Amino acid sequence: MNEILAKLATEFPGVFDAENPDPSGALVPADQHVAVAAFLKENGFTKYVTVVGSHYPASGDEGVAEYEVGTVLRNPTRNSFAFMWRVRIPMDGEVPTLCPLFAGADWQEREQFDLVGVRFGGHPDLRRLMLPEDWEGHPLHKDYAIETAHPPWR
Amino acid sequence: MGVDETYRNYEHPLYASLEKMPGITVGLARLDQLLQWGARNSLWVFPMATSCCAIEFMTAAASRVDLDQMGTIIRPTPRHCDVMVVAGTITVKMAPRVKKLWDQMPEPKWCIAMGSCAISGDFYRDIYSVVPGVDTICPVDVYIPGCPPNADQVMVGLRRLQEKIQLQREGKWVEPDKRPDDPRTILPEIGLYDRREDDMTERQHEASRHLGVGGNESRDNDDGVISHQGGVSETAGGSTE
Repeated sequence: MNEILAKLATEFPGVFDAENPDPSGALVPADQHVAVAAFLKENGFTKYVTVVGSHYPASGDEGVAEYEVGTVLRNPTRNSFAFMWRVRIPMDGEVPTLCPLFAGADWQEREQFDLVGVRFGGHPDLRRLMLPEDWEGHPLHKDYAIETAHPPWR
Repeated sequence: MGVDETYRNYEHPLYASLEKMPGITVGLARLDQLLQWGARNSLWVFPMATSCCAIEFMTAAASRVDLDQMGTIIRPTPRHCDVMVVAGTITVKMAPRVKKLWDQMPEPKWCIAMGSCAISGDFYRDIYSVVPGVDTICPVDVYIPGCPPNADQVMVGLRRLQEKIQLQREGKWVEPDKRPDDPRTILPEIGLYDRREDDMTERQHEASRHLGVGGNESRDNDDGVISHQGGVSETAGGSTE
């Protein structure tokens, strides 16, 4: 863990901190997202585990509604461990896709787009995965009403 | 969403031409009884099984509560079947598919809502993606309450359906079933489990004694009681006293 963190700290100065690592994953600017993933893939993190999106509504007077996207990669060797970092974007922004690097990211990112509403820039086929095609809204938004009606079925 | 019941027709098209023959009505009454008996005792089931109720439905088809004993055969296609058993939560995405499969079944057909999710949605009822009860998309004849209902209750539900079919074919009025007040009420009316003989457990232990099952446990003592090697409980009880 410390080894890869030291490598990342030298490669991306100011983003990763080898001495005091963020326990919930380092916050990476969106334009360095793909570069971090490519660097980790070259250093043995070849397994794409998951992508986790969450919606942060605007809080306070100056707050801006944001999406936070966490990506988890795993090093599939004997002493394997998972590595996670986070990207924060405004609601109308886009996270660069990881589909060219990891083919398994395709449906994972479609799921996050479907339920949370995060847009992945450059994704080859960004359609809904879980919900019906004609669904309106993204149900994991914090302001989505749980009793939303969908006639004629509900 | 309402359900159009006007297309339901239980009359066979042969009847209209047959009834013109003199003296045939006596024979037709017998034939009607025969058809009623056949429809009641050959309920082929289409399992619209989406979640954990499906596991309990498999249990009902297995040996202890055997659905085959009443002519119930489970077929994985709607076109062969008389009864659709909706076992599990139906989501908004699944609902058009359920409706399509129900429309593909030939008349006469019946529907059983098995489990609290199919009856009313239960604790998923208020969620954006769940249909609040399968009777909002197709007519339900029998409700089987439970979460999930055990295999006995599946049997009770099918017996209730047989009773309904018999009464309908005899031309009697059958009160339509209502949604149960509490979808999780457990009301087993027939106790198939009571048929198990008293010494069957002991005989099963006897049969498994020579198979080497049980890992560290040994059943070699004569009275059939499972004893753990080491006898921890004996020494612990003695030391505290």
